[in-house]
Amino acid sequence: MITTHSLSAGSFSELAEGTGDRVVVRELREAQLSKHMMLLHVVAGAAAGIDPQTPETDAFSAGYQLLSQVQAADPAVVARLLGLPHIGSWAHDCLACLDNGSPPDFGYLAAAAVSAAIQAGLRFEVDVPVRGGRVPLPGLGCLAVPGADEWVRLSSDGARLQAGEHIEVACAALIPDADSVPATPHWEGTPLVRAEADGQSWEVLLEIADRYLDRYALPMLTILPPAEVANWRQRIQSAWELLVRQHGWAAGSIGEGVSVLVPLVPRSDLDSATSPAAFGAIATSLPPSVVSMAETLIHEFQHNKLSGLMDMLPLIEPSGERGYAPWREDPRPMAGLLQGVYAFAGIVHFWDVQRHIKTAPDDVLRANVLYERWRLTIEFVTDTLLGHGVLTPTGVSFVTALRERGRRGESGPVPAEAIEIAREVALDNWLTWQLRHTALDAAGVAGLAAAFRRGEPSGRQQLPAAWIDDDTRKIDSMTRSRLLNLRYQEPQRYRELTAEEIPELAAADVHLIRGDASAAVAAYREGLVAEPDPVAWIGLALAVHRLPADPARPVLTEQLPLLFELHACLAGQGVHADPLDVVAWLA
Amino acid sequence: MSLQQHELNSVIPDLRTLSLERLAELGDSALAHSIALYRERLKETGVPLSSFNARI
Repeated sequence: MITTHSLSAGSFSELAEGTGDRVVVRELREAQLSKHMMLLHVVAGAAAGIDPQTPETDAFSAGYQLLSQVQAADPAVVARLLGLPHIGSWAHDCLACLDNGSPPDFGYLAAAAVSAAIQAGLRFEVDVPVRGGRVPLPGLGCLAVPGADEWVRLSSDGARLQAGEHIEVACAALIPDADSVPATPHWEGTPLVRAEADGQSWEVLLEIADRYLDRYALPMLTILPPAEVANWRQRIQSAWELLVRQHGWAAGSIGEGVSVLVPLVPRSDLDSATSPAAFGAIATSLPPSVVSMAETLIHEFQHNKLSGLMDMLPLIEPSGERGYAPWREDPRPMAGLLQGVYAFAGIVHFWDVQRHIKTAPDDVLRANVLYERWRLTIEFVTDTLLGHGVLTPTGVSFVTALRERGRRGESGPVPAEAIEIAREVALDNWLTWQLRHTALDAAGVAGLAAAFRRGEPSGRQQLPAAWIDDDTRKIDSMTRSRLLNLRYQEPQRYRELTAEEIPELAAADVHLIRGDASAAVAAYREGLVAEPDPVAWIGLALAVHRLPADPARPVLTEQLPLLFELHACLAGQGVHADPLDVVAWLA
Repeated sequence: MSLQQHELNSVIPDLRTLSLERLAELGDSALAHSIALYRERLKETGVPLSSFNARI
């Protein structure tokens, strides 16, 4: 009788609050091992069902048999291997191939088995696939077999590995590259980072060769010269020190759960990612600072944890619905909202600590804004998720607990300036998103315009139908938004830029950026009377929000696409209304 | 569901202590339900089976 994994209520609660210690993560990791074994069972069944057998299925059978022998000799080695994200991702890929009718990479298991057999010191002889003159051994490194064709025979007496007829390497040398052993001919150990801080250690591989961990939106860095490896080591070590000393809630779980970092080819910005198929792996370009490395690890491991939990307990029902994700510019599916808000729950913890350990005024401002901005996000997105009815009963419990955690005050008040900036950049993003992606029924808008012209009160009118439609309007407010964000991202740069002329900005935007809200409102009004412009509408809404409490605020926040369309419709009919008159009418 | 419950049973079969030999002998039916749920969840929640959900 096979039972299922269970999760204690305490572990569930910890995860729902966005945390979860080593013990909780171990529960998730053990469930992942079972998941990988379950998927391996599917792949084994598929391999056995192929008739006649092929070199790939023969390699799979030999690999499975070898792995079974290793398990009998040293079960921990096999458990460690099968728990690797490489194996999860490979098995996931095999399932995808089986589902779409393409041949799975059965032979990969033979190389994985060799990796385990080498670690256990077993004798073996098995054929493994060669890719680009190399044989990747998951968790260890790559064996270079120049001149080999598609397959090479690997054999070992437990002490030395023979590859084909001419290559022989001591098994003891076939280990990850911890920067402590001399180079071995034909062997490229996967870079291993051993980070230490205050007696806590974390070992993590920098995977640069395994094709099943090269599946992110950006390609894996497959060449990492020693100087770059040293950079990664240094950044990881420093981030680990920060995590252990200041963010103990995250350090323990990351140390327990993250076994692989996948360096990504860098672009202009920091990119990072995880996959539900590869628990324990975080892909990232090299974060530019120690703080951003620590933040990235926390952010991405939140995704890992949630994916692991969702493998065990379904939290969300199938749904085609999409909604607003405050960290994105495009509409996102509900499952994406859940993943995102969970990541930001971790980020809120992170910045709540950081805002107290920073001392330079600009750093303090930045940390407080980031804390406040993402704290607001939790409330907004959990309300969306709970309001759409897409969560399972377990999911409702989970998201409710997450929301409550976000609502609780953390460690002291946030300075007023940081609150103002956080709320304004959040509002800017929300208004821009609405104008960009909210479509409205044109006939309904025309009906409202007619009522406006007749002087009828808006309360009697039915509002036009609205729905999400990608990029229904082109909105280019990037320069203004970038400057608003620069206030906390790079305060010094912001001060320098705003002290000069800003030729890319309209006069109204300049007033807004320089903090003269009344002048900005007047200028936006004047501009909008002359020409309907969604970017100016966003500016007007932001400027009005800077003025003392105004009854126009709610309608500007929630109905900006309708205000724009109504105003534009009137302009099309030759009625160049004051935008605030339209706002007052609809309010 | 209440957070006060002591344990939440998951949909993942506990195979940690199962030998690979025994795993190979398991028929299709023993894990079929969990496997079907896994495949279904990935499809339904929008995580493509063939590629990574690299961005949220």
